[in-house]
Amino acid sequence: MNTKNNTEDLEQEIADLESRLHNAKAQLASSHLAPRSAKPSSLSREPNGIPPSIPIHHALLLLSDSALPLGSFAYSSGLESYLAHNKPLPRSVTSIASFRRFLKLSIASLGSTSLPYVLNAYRYPETLETLDNDLDASTPCVVAQRASLAQGRALLGLWERAFRGSYGLYASSGSSMANGAGTAVNAVKALEDFLDALKSCFDHVDELGPKGHFSPLWGVVCFIMGMDLHQTAYVFMLNHAKAVLSAAVRASVMGPYQAQAILASKGLQEMIMQRIEREWDTNVEDAGQVVPPLDLWVGRHELLYSRIFNS
Amino acid sequence: MPIKSPFETDVAKAGHGEVILDLLPPSIPTLTTLTYKYPLKLLARTPGFVPRTSAQTCPSRPVHLYLLTYGGGLLPGDHIDVSITLKERTRMVVSTPQGSTKIFKTEPTASVKGQRGTPAHIATDMSRQMLDVRIDNEAAICYLPDPAVPYKDSRYEQAQTFTVDGTAPDSKRGSLCVLDWVTEGRSSRGETWDFHFWKGKNEVWSDDGSGSKKLLLRDSIILDDECDDAERDADNSHPNMIRERTHPHGIVGTLILYGPVYEKLASFILHRFTTQPRIGARNWSTSVSPAKSATESYSNTTNTNATWTAARVRAGFTLVKFGAPDFEAAKTWLGDLLREEGSVVREFGEEALICL
Repeated sequence: MNTKNNTEDLEQEIADLESRLHNAKAQLASSHLAPRSAKPSSLSREPNGIPPSIPIHHALLLLSDSALPLGSFAYSSGLESYLAHNKPLPRSVTSIASFRRFLKLSIASLGSTSLPYVLNAYRYPETLETLDNDLDASTPCVVAQRASLAQGRALLGLWERAFRGSYGLYASSGSSMANGAGTAVNAVKALEDFLDALKSCFDHVDELGPKGHFSPLWGVVCFIMGMDLHQTAYVFMLNHAKAVLSAAVRASVMGPYQAQAILASKGLQEMIMQRIEREWDTNVEDAGQVVPPLDLWVGRHELLYSRIFNS
Repeated sequence: MPIKSPFETDVAKAGHGEVILDLLPPSIPTLTTLTYKYPLKLLARTPGFVPRTSAQTCPSRPVHLYLLTYGGGLLPGDHIDVSITLKERTRMVVSTPQGSTKIFKTEPTASVKGQRGTPAHIATDMSRQMLDVRIDNEAAICYLPDPAVPYKDSRYEQAQTFTVDGTAPDSKRGSLCVLDWVTEGRSSRGETWDFHFWKGKNEVWSDDGSGSKKLLLRDSIILDDECDDAERDADNSHPNMIRERTHPHGIVGTLILYGPVYEKLASFILHRFTTQPRIGARNWSTSVSPAKSATESYSNTTNTNATWTAARVRAGFTLVKFGAPDFEAAKTWLGDLLREEGSVVREFGEEALICL
């Protein structure tokens, strides 16, 4: 990968994003202090004079929607197995505390294993097939593979049936905003090629052919839809947190309001931001599991006597 | 076979070693190359063991290679780089006869010359071990070493790369059995995951001979306390992130199996995994015949201490992941499993299990 060439650009981009984040936070803080003093339009104005792209991104709302038909609700990412392996809880530990521990571990693990693939697919969409292969090679068990493939293929289906009409044309007409038009066209091409390769793979069984893992596809689709890299990463992590929390509600760990409280908490936001920052420059070669027991819990999901989730 | 002095200068770099194992006609395993340099030491030996029954037709005698380091461990900044080539139909057992690979601690102040926490600073005081193994068709490696024991405050990185010929038909492929495990440190001294950094990466690549390589399997564990020296100095009560992330285990590890020689073992382990008692199931054992329940309760008692999972992932790989409260529990569990099935002993001799 031509990382060296892009390092300066990336550093520039990071600095830019950080300043934007800083500004946004400052604006948020001031709007909390004086909710009605400023006109709504001031929210979309950048203090340092850079014209904003779009204050709220349309694609962002689509992709962060929990109704996005990816089937994420069917997976607990190891939570169900974790609960079974830690039963009964010691008296000093509440079920909420135990869940918070799991959420923290799960987010850290997602950050170290999957997030580098999202980031790299976004930056280098043309490497999609390699990233897909490498992620498949790095997936340690069939349970995790199943979950990743089901959601990845759902996303491909969504692209094919829903997004392609708007974003495929849109990108190739050369009016992409955040990304250079040429690279957006290339990204669409990479995605379409991947789709074709995946389809032709169903005819003749090639065990090492394209698979359709979720993380790299997420990166490429978000790129095509004009999301910026930070948003792409943040929504990826947040959607995961949402899915785990939703699983927790259905597994009777907590009620829906408690789940929303965790989702809304500063702690969760900081945790996600911290993981993104940490893995921002991680090459996929250096991705790896930071929570070894999670592989055990996910792998041993198959041993559960009764299951309500697929992972 | 001639053993060269480790201080000889014709060997390229400190810590480098190279081994090439070939089969001379009719079927005599011969090390055509064996070089190494301080702090690495390689010893080779060909015991009289001949596999009698094997998954392969006319198997060759396994050659044992011992990986040694002066002092039995790695100091900060030590880099070990070993390259092994197994030519067609050869067999090698690689082991660590000095016991666990000790990763000695990084002095928190001695190594700080430049800015704290800069990558350069981390890179210089990190110990590193690289192993690069090329396995030709019908060759086999059995690599069951002792676990790594990272001492308090140590940093260590290990990368093991195996290359096989991806175009070979299933029955002619190279075979590999690789164990990679890491403990919480010297538990007798009260160390529980008190090191700064440990990373173990195992990769298997397929090479079709034309230079295009494809990643078949990557297994990577990163145990990182995620704080720099400044944070450590400022606050001794910094939560131990590695301990939190490995809880409740005192040792974690991975076993990778691939190729025709280990096919039976892989099936055995998978069967053993899928027939483990269901978690959260009621005990209906009264309805089971006495003989069956006896064997099951036996396997239950031997398995209770290790938590493990096994899966046939892709391209014929079987990946076993495990965690256990301590080294003894993991060793007993894995040693019993491998002995009970018997493939390793049949193909490589009892000595291949020396670390288990």
